[in-house]
Amino acid sequence: MNTPLRTRLAIFAGKLAAAASRLAGRGEGMIIGGTVALKLSPHALEDLAQGRVAALVSATNGKTSTTRLLATAMSQGGPIASPTTGANMTEGAVWALATGAPGAQAVLEVDEAYLPRIVKETQPKVVLLANLSRDQLDRMSEVAMLARKWRTMIEENPEVLIIANADDPIVVFAAEKAKKIVWVAAGQAWTADSSVCPECGTLLTRDEKTWSCSGCGRTRPTPSWNFEWKATKGKTSATAVSPSGEKFDLSNLNLPGRFNASNATMALAACSELGYNLPKAVELMSTVSAVSGRYAIVQSGALKVRLLLAKNPAGWSELLDIMPPAPTPVIVMINSNHADGRDPSWLWDVPFERLAGRTVIASGNRRRDLAVRLLHAAVDCVVVEDPFAPDADLPESVRKLDVIDCAATYTAFQKIRVGALGEVDA
Amino acid sequence: MSKTVKIASIYPTLLGTYGDGGNVAALRHIAALHSITVSVDEISPGQKVPANADIYVLGGGEDTAQSAAAAALHASGALAEGVKNGAAVLSICAGYQILGHTFLDAEGKPSAGLGLLDVTTDRLEKRAVGELVAHPLSSGPAGISAVLTGYENHGGFTHLGSGVEPFASVTSGIGNGDGTTEGAINGRVIGTYLHGPCLVRNPQVAEQLLSWAVDRKLEHIVEAEVEALRRERLDFVSKSR
Ligand SMILES: [Zn+2]
Repeated sequence: MNTPLRTRLAIFAGKLAAAASRLAGRGEGMIIGGTVALKLSPHALEDLAQGRVAALVSATNGKTSTTRLLATAMSQGGPIASPTTGANMTEGAVWALATGAPGAQAVLEVDEAYLPRIVKETQPKVVLLANLSRDQLDRMSEVAMLARKWRTMIEENPEVLIIANADDPIVVFAAEKAKKIVWVAAGQAWTADSSVCPECGTLLTRDEKTWSCSGCGRTRPTPSWNFEWKATKGKTSATAVSPSGEKFDLSNLNLPGRFNASNATMALAACSELGYNLPKAVELMSTVSAVSGRYAIVQSGALKVRLLLAKNPAGWSELLDIMPPAPTPVIVMINSNHADGRDPSWLWDVPFERLAGRTVIASGNRRRDLAVRLLHAAVDCVVVEDPFAPDADLPESVRKLDVIDCAATYTAFQKIRVGALGEVDA
Repeated sequence: MSKTVKIASIYPTLLGTYGDGGNVAALRHIAALHSITVSVDEISPGQKVPANADIYVLGGGEDTAQSAAAAALHASGALAEGVKNGAAVLSICAGYQILGHTFLDAEGKPSAGLGLLDVTTDRLEKRAVGELVAHPLSSGPAGISAVLTGYENHGGFTHLGSGVEPFASVTSGIGNGDGTTEGAINGRVIGTYLHGPCLVRNPQVAEQLLSWAVDRKLEHIVEAEVEALRRERLDFVSKSR
């Protein structure tokens, strides 16, 4: 690979800055490293990409997990450059390419708003678009606006193959103009943010499998890949079905829930387009048990917890379904720091009623908002500032558990993850 | 048997972007505390808006959804009829703007509202995002006396005409945009920028709406969890000044 000198020097300077940042105890330094490199060489991303970027993954929810599943599946062909900490803006992409195995194929997770720029500069072979829903509205673009930006991006980059979720009308609106596209019926459990047509504003008609708009005639595209999910008597099974009808059993995935099986189906479709062996891909994806701390079991203070992350109503709705059934108590931590979104009123869109029959330990800096939400949901709750303190006033039933689920917003999640003495099962 | 209070949640799929569904949840919850029976109709676009509801609730929404909701409400006419029949209305943010004479659509063009509140909305120079604290006016509804707390997130500057009173006066945050007033009220029709959700953080407003509907005074019921939340939010604002 022939990287221009300016970019090579910029990367060197970035590495020094990152090392300094690590020494100062300010984290892994990838953001600072990428920022320094980009400042010294504004075209660093283009220079580093040069045909190496196999796939970009973007979505409101699940992009970190999907990226990990795909990168792991593709590792059958040799090392893959892929960030491991969810740094998903331009700096993160630069850093993943600069520090990954030289010349290795790259799989990058990309923030929804940064996707147009990163697609343009890296010219990836495929782009996975899984879902778009509301996320932290006090600082993010409105969903429809984001979809229009993706649409323009796709028209301006006709060579890029798009793999998109046919079940999400907003994603379909964004992706439908693609010259090369593979539709995946990846499902959409959360429909509250796509009730109207993003083009004409008409209320969408939905049935079990499809959706359509009576205003402009837009309908769900016919998918090439299908995804089947069954949950009966506490047992779940998931199957991906290829365009030729070949079935792939995803029941052995270690990542829990319908949405991770759906993510794996998107990843499998990408593997197929990139020419990888698919049974091998499924086998490798099943080895992924935790993704950047999500689903990891960690010791936090006096408690051993399974860490769950959700950032918005769609994500929370999925998490409530993978928690153990009542009466097992759970910890829910709600913060409203910058990275969480300052406004937690989305709590009222989350079906917390599903936690009925158990005691919720409400924590985080917005624990009082959560307590009122649970009061209205008729869910028993105790408000505890620090549930991990040895002397925390917790119900007996919590102390009796070997591992307790702790679902948290981003900054609360990161604090536990970083603070944990060691990940028991990362 | 006392009467069942009919609550109509107007187009929650279009107008409910900022947890405004919590307002209906709060009405249900607070009605139960006062032993008032309620029925809730969630109206989707395409469904008939009832003209005989006692309380109508409209939340906030994105631009496209706001225009779709305004068009559907125009075509229906039922909300205006309900107001004529003495119904109470709580409208938040985009819902508030729809009740005025005009608001701006996604392209920034003035779009016709329902004219149920004498207000017009254009653009603030800078989007208003953050905690909003306002004091109810002494001339306002008798049941609303406690300081109002909420979260605002809007780009609209709402100008009040002579046919409305401000709902409250701003002590922290932006509100309507003129530097002092927050929301608007005319009779039993309330418009406000208070998300949070509004009725969750300000149970007195819910009690006032219910009081109008059952035509009797309701004593304020204090819930410890709600008071703790209100105190914490108000402390947060006074500390961050
Ligand atoms: Zn349409």
